[in-house]
Amino acid sequence: MIKLDKNSENNLIKLFDSKNIGIEGNIIKLFETDNDEFKSYLTKCSEKDKDSRRKRLEITKKIQLQNSELSNLNVENQKMMEDLQLTLKEAEEQKTQIEKQNGELMDWRVENEKIQQELQKEMIKSEQSRIQSETAKTNALNDLDILQKRNQTELISNIVKVALYIIIGVGIVTTGVYVFTLLMGKDTQVISATWSNIFGILLTNAFSIVGTIMGIKYATENKQ
Amino acid sequence: MIDSILLVDDEDLFHLVFEDACSLLDISLSLNALNSSDQAAKLFQKWFQDGDDSDKPECVFVDLNIIGSSFDGIELIRKINFEYGNHVVVGIISSSNEPEEQAKAVQAGAQFWIIKSDDIEPRLEEFRKDYEGYKNRTLPFKVYK
Repeated sequence: MIKLDKNSENNLIKLFDSKNIGIEGNIIKLFETDNDEFKSYLTKCSEKDKDSRRKRLEITKKIQLQNSELSNLNVENQKMMEDLQLTLKEAEEQKTQIEKQNGELMDWRVENEKIQQELQKEMIKSEQSRIQSETAKTNALNDLDILQKRNQTELISNIVKVALYIIIGVGIVTTGVYVFTLLMGKDTQVISATWSNIFGILLTNAFSIVGTIMGIKYATENKQ
Repeated sequence: MIDSILLVDDEDLFHLVFEDACSLLDISLSLNALNSSDQAAKLFQKWFQDGDDSDKPECVFVDLNIIGSSFDGIELIRKINFEYGNHVVVGIISSSNEPEEQAKAVQAGAQFWIIKSDDIEPRLEEFRKDYEGYKNRTLPFKVYK
């Protein structure tokens, strides 16, 4: 415990009365005195100290509460930031994935276009081949037709020739026999009738052959 | 009234709250506050090794989780009790109220557990009344809720 002399006690009391300056803190609890005036001074100082401590305690508690709230808010903010960062990361990953998929799609598209172009080229080639084959077929058919016609013509020509040769030959022979008979002065009654008869028959047959051939030719052309 | 108190807590603002509350409630004459359990352990080690414990506190309040320290409050209490001599009243002052932690604190030699809150004065008042029991080691472990 601390005990001051009378003079010091009075000086402290005067200081408090004139300038409101008193001792503070737990040291107040350590003073002891017989002076009632100084006892009163110590009580006043103690009350003043307690008032200021009470005020400070209230303020400190408020600050502590605010700090606690701020700390909680900070935790929430950090959590939100982490969530946001996570969401952002996910979005970026999705974006990257979409970009990758887009790239793949673009590649597929380019490839598809390339395949489509190749298909079109192949289709054109195929169409050209078809046209060429049809042309070739037509040409072949034409050639075949021409060949057939030529064969037919040749055959007809041969038939006509043979027939004409026969007719002409028979005509010449019959005419020769008739002329010979005339020159020999023999009876020509039978031979002339026979000659004219044979000549008529030959002409008739000749025209008949020619007409038949022409008819066949006409019919064949119409069928085609 | 407790002659001297040591508070080990990482929160500076709580040092002010605790000091003012103790002063208003006439709990102690002097109060020293530290931010880390390492500093407190060093002090106790010094007092133990030197044998001079004139400035050693009578009672120690330790926070459970002390940020910036290499060990927590329970480990500090264990060191104070089992490594540096068991001559102080020591306990936990924390916002935590977990029975598992309290059981660990008892094993480490803690005598009390005061739960920190906005209204700490009633708990400190109750503690002040029980203090003699802790000093005499006649009072069992108690949680001030």
